[in-house]
Amino acid sequence: MSKYLLHLEGVTVRFGGLTAAKDVDLQVQREHISAVIGPNGAGKTTVFNCVTGIYSPSEGTICISGSDIRERFSYKKGCFALGTALATAIALTGAVNIQTLFDEAINQRYVWGQPFPWSSFPSALWNSITNLPNSRTVLPFLGGLAIGLGGYLTTWRRSRHTPFTTVRRGIARTFQNIRLFKEMSVLDNVLVGMHSDHPPRFFEVLLGLPRYRRNEANRLRGAQELLNFVGLSQFINAPADSLPYGSQRRLEIARALATKPELLLLDEPAAGMNPSEMEDLAELIGKIRACGITVLLIEHHMKLVMGISDHITVLEYGEKIAEGTPESVQRDPKVIAAYLGDTYDGH
Amino acid sequence: MFLDKRLTFVILSLLLIPLFDLLLPEWARLAPLMPTVLIFALIGLGLTVVTGFTGLLHLGVAAFVAIGAYTFAIATCSSYPFQIPWGIALLLAGLVGGASGFLLGLPTLRLRGDYLAIVTLGFGEIVQDVLRNLDLITKGTQGINPLPGPNFGWGELGSSSTVSWYYLIVGIIILVTLGLERLLVSPIGRSWLAVRDDELAASCMGVNPVAVKLSTFAISAGLSAMGGALMASFLGTSGEPSNFDFQVSIMVLSLIIVGGIGSLPGAILGAVVMVGVNSILLAKVADWLAATQGIPSANVFISPGNWKYLIFGLSLVLMMRFKKEGFLPALKTSRRASE
Repeated sequence: MSKYLLHLEGVTVRFGGLTAAKDVDLQVQREHISAVIGPNGAGKTTVFNCVTGIYSPSEGTICISGSDIRERFSYKKGCFALGTALATAIALTGAVNIQTLFDEAINQRYVWGQPFPWSSFPSALWNSITNLPNSRTVLPFLGGLAIGLGGYLTTWRRSRHTPFTTVRRGIARTFQNIRLFKEMSVLDNVLVGMHSDHPPRFFEVLLGLPRYRRNEANRLRGAQELLNFVGLSQFINAPADSLPYGSQRRLEIARALATKPELLLLDEPAAGMNPSEMEDLAELIGKIRACGITVLLIEHHMKLVMGISDHITVLEYGEKIAEGTPESVQRDPKVIAAYLGDTYDGH
Repeated sequence: MFLDKRLTFVILSLLLIPLFDLLLPEWARLAPLMPTVLIFALIGLGLTVVTGFTGLLHLGVAAFVAIGAYTFAIATCSSYPFQIPWGIALLLAGLVGGASGFLLGLPTLRLRGDYLAIVTLGFGEIVQDVLRNLDLITKGTQGINPLPGPNFGWGELGSSSTVSWYYLIVGIIILVTLGLERLLVSPIGRSWLAVRDDELAASCMGVNPVAVKLSTFAISAGLSAMGGALMASFLGTSGEPSNFDFQVSIMVLSLIIVGGIGSLPGAILGAVVMVGVNSILLAKVADWLAATQGIPSANVFISPGNWKYLIFGLSLVLMMRFKKEGFLPALKTSRRASE
């Protein structure tokens, strides 16, 4: 098992000419509370978005528990790719020729009011297929193979690291600007977080099978426990957007915890909170760590960060300028310069 | 019976309409004119899944209605050798519609909002052209007829036995709404609503937006296709391809907006209001004008049928201004399966 739960190596993100993050190395130790700090526009949220698959880094690797966060190409995927290619090829060839085939194998052999000679249908269909000119079979077949294979591989390549595959690897996050499901209730918001927990099939839901009911009851209980944990149990049926601001942030945390993460990413959890709300938040983050969940947070409030973090990484203009314990970071002249705006000429 | 009490109320009133009709004189009875309205309600329920629950603007519903109507027609009409039983043909139409919805979904997975709307709009036009040009299969612009009605062992249900048709379609609507309500309070429905509210946040919670879009497209298309099949069977003909044009899609979209977008009772009520005005109220007014005032319905200016788009347009404007969440807005509170 790798020493680090999350390990970023040389992560660079470019948007056209702008380099939002440059060669960032970041290590998060298990069951630590780590923080990323830095002035506005330093690339903190960009790093978070890279980890959660919203952006893909232009360079560098992201490892979770020592293995690359991107999905590997497997034997099964290869079979799916070939299957998709074949199906597309057959469908395209069929689509090009459907009129001829339908006419020769069905229309011309059917006399109104007479029973249709179904027994000779396969041979008639086969005859009309073999009678087709090559240009109308080989070309669409090859074209279909190319489209199917190309489409599958392109889609696969793009979906190797997406937000929902990240959740499967045990990473959950909250957002800087709160992104709750506003039209849904507090409870439903948390239940959405449990989406990957025994997802039911359509027929199970439609028939209300016992396995689904049992799982749903478990999810409901789990969601209520989580709402108790973050202290929102009195709002359980309220619409999410009716909650006070601080509670909305707590709800986002509860929703992220519902995915049963190993690593929780908090993007400015204290933004817009008053001092007493912030104290409660610090306590909540401590409780989360006590449950064995590693926390990585972005934060501006130095008091909060310095109080709860085990390890701090400082970014400025997309580059890492310092890291270490809160005490060492606080004393680092580069960090002081970045925050106080002093001209620093330590080189 | 239903989780949403308003839905119980709407369904009960639908069930009572034929009884209420007994009190009315022959010319004022509603049930004989209601099957078309209810078929639109079914199509509206289909669109509710994709536009109301998942928030994807879909402007090509008519294409799936057409696919359903033509699949049903080819499967049952005596000029083709298949002649499948009515119920199986209806399910087949739903399946073929669902599959084509899935296929339309595949290349549009990464599209959202306006772009997706444009693709669905284009698909609606393409399907009409395909049906028109595959004339060896679909008989081109002639339409496929005659089509059988349902037969449950005591004779075939023709277009004239409208009350039986009425109850048949109400029955289908009850089944569909029960199914959709169950889905809605399950993790599946929650993932739809989550994608509607915030796709990015939903995917960060482990919801695969691609799977959500494909499944809702397929379900919606399947329901619309079943609506198309019922329409074809009720009218006894598939109709010609240009019957399934953009106006149908817009009509269905308007009716779910007027009813309350994302609300199941809203879709039914919206169909009753919008299609009801079109095919019942205006038709009655035209009949009345012709009978008492001596104004033939062919008169272009006075014929109420020619004023319908003015009426629809105006009512949509007023609706958006004064009650933009619709007559029966979608519920916000927690809808739990245990309730």
